[in-house]
Amino acid sequence: MSMAEGRGRGRGRGRGQGQDSAPAPRRWLFARLDAFSGNKFFAFGVFIVALSIFLAAFGAMISPYDPQAATGDISVPPPPITEWPRLFYLAISGQLERPPHWFGTDQSGLDVFSRVISAPRADMTIALGGALISLFLGTFLGLIAGFYRNWATELMMRVSDVLQAFPVFITAMILVSLAGRETGNLVLALALVYTPIFIRLTRSEVMAQSARGYVQAAWAVGNSGFKIAIKHVLPNSLVPSLVQLSVTVGFAIILTAGLSFVGAGVRPPTPEWGIMISVGAQQLILGEWWPSIFPGLAITVTVFGYAIVGHAIEQKFRET
Amino acid sequence: MSAPRKADSAATAPILEAEGLTVHFRGKDGAETMAVADFSLTVRPGEFIGIMGEPGCGKSTAAIALIGLVRPPGRITGGSVRFMGRELLTMEDDEITAIRGKDIGLIVQNPRTSLHPMLTVGNQISRVYRAHNKVSKKAAWRHAIDMLRMVGMNDPERRVKAYAHELSSGMTQRVLIAMAMSSKPKLLIADEPTSGLDVTIQAQFLDQMWETANQTGSAVLLVTQDLGIIANYCDRVLIMEQGRIIEEAPVRQFFEAPKQEYSRRILATQRQEGDDASGEAHHGELTDAQTIIRVAGLCKQFPIRGSAEVVHAVDDVSFEIRRGEAVGLVGESGSGKTTVGRCLVRLEEPTAGDILFHDASLGGIKRAAFTPYRKAIQIVFQDPFDSMNPRWTVEKVLREPLDLHTDLTAEQKRERVVELLEMTGLDASLRADQPRQLSAGHQQRVVIARAIATNPEFIVLDEPTSALSPETRIEIIQLLMELSRKLGFAYLFISHDLTTVRVICHRVIVMYLGQIVEVGDKDGVFSHPRHPYSKALLASHLFPDVTNRRVDRAERITLEGEIPSPVSLPKGCYLYGRCPSQKAACADAPQQLRAMPDGREIRCWRVTEGDLPEAES
Amino acid sequence: MIGRFIVRRVIIALFQLLGVSLVVFFLIRLLPADPVANLVGLNASEEAYIQAERSLGLDKSLFEQLSVFLGFSEPSGLVDGSLGVSWLTSEPVFHEIGRFLPVTLELVTLSLLLSFLIAIPLGMASATRPGSIADKVALIWGMFAGAQPDYWWGLLFVFVFFYVLGVAPPPMGSIDPMMSRPSVITGFLIIDSILLGRFDVFLSVLYHLMLPVLTLVFVISGAITKMVRQNMVRALASDYILYARSCGLSKKEVGRYALRAALTPAVTLVGIFYMILLSAAVTVELVFSLSGIGQYAIRSILTFDYPAIQGVVLVVALLSLFIYLLLDIIHAYLDPRVQY
Repeated sequence: MSMAEGRGRGRGRGRGQGQDSAPAPRRWLFARLDAFSGNKFFAFGVFIVALSIFLAAFGAMISPYDPQAATGDISVPPPPITEWPRLFYLAISGQLERPPHWFGTDQSGLDVFSRVISAPRADMTIALGGALISLFLGTFLGLIAGFYRNWATELMMRVSDVLQAFPVFITAMILVSLAGRETGNLVLALALVYTPIFIRLTRSEVMAQSARGYVQAAWAVGNSGFKIAIKHVLPNSLVPSLVQLSVTVGFAIILTAGLSFVGAGVRPPTPEWGIMISVGAQQLILGEWWPSIFPGLAITVTVFGYAIVGHAIEQKFRET
Repeated sequence: MSAPRKADSAATAPILEAEGLTVHFRGKDGAETMAVADFSLTVRPGEFIGIMGEPGCGKSTAAIALIGLVRPPGRITGGSVRFMGRELLTMEDDEITAIRGKDIGLIVQNPRTSLHPMLTVGNQISRVYRAHNKVSKKAAWRHAIDMLRMVGMNDPERRVKAYAHELSSGMTQRVLIAMAMSSKPKLLIADEPTSGLDVTIQAQFLDQMWETANQTGSAVLLVTQDLGIIANYCDRVLIMEQGRIIEEAPVRQFFEAPKQEYSRRILATQRQEGDDASGEAHHGELTDAQTIIRVAGLCKQFPIRGSAEVVHAVDDVSFEIRRGEAVGLVGESGSGKTTVGRCLVRLEEPTAGDILFHDASLGGIKRAAFTPYRKAIQIVFQDPFDSMNPRWTVEKVLREPLDLHTDLTAEQKRERVVELLEMTGLDASLRADQPRQLSAGHQQRVVIARAIATNPEFIVLDEPTSALSPETRIEIIQLLMELSRKLGFAYLFISHDLTTVRVICHRVIVMYLGQIVEVGDKDGVFSHPRHPYSKALLASHLFPDVTNRRVDRAERITLEGEIPSPVSLPKGCYLYGRCPSQKAACADAPQQLRAMPDGREIRCWRVTEGDLPEAES
Repeated sequence: MIGRFIVRRVIIALFQLLGVSLVVFFLIRLLPADPVANLVGLNASEEAYIQAERSLGLDKSLFEQLSVFLGFSEPSGLVDGSLGVSWLTSEPVFHEIGRFLPVTLELVTLSLLLSFLIAIPLGMASATRPGSIADKVALIWGMFAGAQPDYWWGLLFVFVFFYVLGVAPPPMGSIDPMMSRPSVITGFLIIDSILLGRFDVFLSVLYHLMLPVLTLVFVISGAITKMVRQNMVRALASDYILYARSCGLSKKEVGRYALRAALTPAVTLVGIFYMILLSAAVTVELVFSLSGIGQYAIRSILTFDYPAIQGVVLVVALLSLFIYLLLDIIHAYLDPRVQY
């Protein structure tokens, strides 16, 4: 079968008669969403991602209780799930004098539900910040390393290799403990730890794309190296990194919470999932499961949402 | 030479009867599309049957389904296939595996990928042998060595331990045919077995398949797109379109009087290529035109990693191209033709020698300094889809050269894009499409449009039609000739497809192992090739002419052995060791390209010094 | 040929280790933390502070400290194979790590092996039977790609299996605290207990490692399954499998062909999985009170014990480089296409 023939699919018509002057990014976005909309699974993932960002911004504002103030109700277990619809109705119609403790309270009287939905401000900010910085930095460096192959870029790759040999959790712990447990340091620590992955991924894809025909053709048409790197190679090398981004955000959330869990992350009393799990761990063994289980459940579901989105991106762009 | 093959009469019982075979493929969304419908075929002992059709017509799928196999995600959904009276499709796994590889053999398209990459060749051959014969491992290993020797591999004891990626395509294909034929099957199914093989290797391979099939009395079912193969080797031909058989006929009858519209079209395109060759002057007459490109002593070497050796891709190549001229550059793998093309557009930097464009020396300048010349010198590659940024629209693709080399306003560029589309026979509405939405033929038209965007004087075309179906090929060739006539550019047409070159070019350059071995005007070279390599090349080329079948010829000109790799080249003539007209003296001195009185240039002392009588050629 | 390959890689690894040591050395000293204050307390007198500083060697210049670390000055250093002395316990770091590391290795190796035992058949089943239950499970589980809050799952398992069901022991270490520890031979409790004939210890170890191993297996098997599945699907759709079938090889043989082709390129991924588990082990050890290298790392970092921190980072980096090298050798052996 002729290679080219196998790929062609008959003549298509242009999307709009006249110019392709419709704003390209918007058209592109709608076309992509269109293709995805049939998939309920993906919708769930997007919902989770959106929810995590929404709660990061507004979680503390909409929580029924102040996440850092004791409510006076100590170690109250959560109401059984069968009760929830009734309680919800009562709460909405204002028949309760105080909002219900959906997830119970811990031994200090803090409302677990409020803390769980306020925690994304810390967790998501740090995780997203770290992941995004490492994406940008890693992609930028990976593009250079893949496109211009000389002694300087080789040296950079060796340095990146050395960084990758560092154990992730321990390195992050070192950075945060010794630099100070500030949010900024946490973000930077994550960025440092995850950048080598993106460098490697982007570089590998850039090298593969540079061997493709359209890059050769771009040279032949008369582009300079810089133009080719930016116009042609970069946009076509992003897919693996974008897929990896979702997974990295998942790892970052777990790392952030994990650092806090061992005492090297966010400082109490900031509401944060890892701290909650750690504090509730003692009680868990004695049967009081809700202070630890709910925050962890939140982590798992959030990471799952990001994983679904990453999987969907991978599936969709595998054809291109 | 073997006698013409006897196609057995209808009196003998058929060995294979397929009826209503249907195959469906499951798409990503779960929907099933039909790939093959109602495929019915009867095969008699000793027959050579060809199955032809455009890509995607289902011929490969049907052929493989005959032994109950389907590439995932396909399923056989209906029909029956009876082999020697036994129904294959309902057999138990252990029954049918006893038949596969023993009574029915299969050869698939890509020889290299048909072998397991991590096991040695010997391991795989012996495994297959042991699957059908109760022998010890040692005996099977010895059988593997014998098999390799039988297909002409030198040093089989060493080669048997090689891995798939260490062998050449031609060699691997011969291994596969050895495996398939070793148990003397009654039927051999070959799915495009020669695609990707060089012309001379293809001829060797098909000849060998023919001989072996004759010896063992096997029937052969050959799936191909090449009418030349059908015309030269087959007794019967089936045409498929969109999953169905639309015509079936004995081969001579088919070529003389095809019944279906589709078949007529295919034959016409191939015929036309033949006609055009002798017909009207296809492009403008070349008056004493000015030389625009002069290549002088071009050399290109590629270093081999981890070794002091180099690959001599191009070795002292010199030629000229005049304004508006169409020059064909032909050769097989390792000839260096692609590298020459790439040097001309500075995608490779010449190791030595010079390229002159209107007396401007381009051979040694830096890549950045070459950029202004890209307005006048352009290139078209083989794979059109691969040549375009998959995320760009056609408009963006065509605008790029305008952005880089002209001062037009946005509005003017838009108009120019429409103009370019019209010139290449495309509808202006396509400019908002992405490459993957276009057919291959249209994609290649866009690539050509991009090449002519800045009104170049010279275009290099590197196998621009090799990836296209025969029908599309003719369209693109006609477009090229028309554009050259209208716009006046010269071009270098690099190809291994002699049929196309014959139509499209004024002059022909034949290359072998980095050197030019023959140069001449098209008619001269094609009708009377002088260099032994050119002769063998042309003889190996399968023209779709049933009146002059290769298998019927009394004498077949072939070259011995494999094409050597251009790393360690011999002192004397590079063809030595393969040439049917070689003498001991040929190995002593390097051969020079000399001009003959009739304008031909030949690199062979026996020809230029008249030592080779015409009778022998 | 392969000898040269190994030698070259070892040399590169040595340079990388040097790089790691230098980076960790400067990194921890350039960060603002003050280990002296940590040791001496915030209300200590100026004198006490200076004395403490001297005893830790922090009064010397950075360059001098570096040469001490590397072993070019009086006390022994890296060049002699010494990792210095812990500021917390005054024990040689090398010995301490020698005690803690085997516990982690035991846990991680056991978990990885068990994960493969589960994930490979699951991945194969998923690839050969698309649409089945196995396929769906593999697909969902694989999506996580190894990103699980292991500390939470560990606690959850403790709650379910210890508190609710009572089939697992309380999370208090590798063996029953009432039992006497066997003397140390290799440091790996499972091996030592067998060697010494202490089957009570052997069973106790397995009993106590049940949940931690379960946690780690849970974390990583999804990723392994996904990898196996993807590679198998690709292999099964390949030309050589089709060709092997057409030659009459049975389904079983062809399955083995495919497995070989599917698993070989994945060999290097094993290294990545190992390192993911190593990271996860840090928190799992905390949950289950196992005295592994993770615990040691946490302790050293939180107390600003510089020599111990350097030691941990170096040893773990060494471990990862060693594992990657080993896997690369195996890969090169299995796959003839790899050039060395």
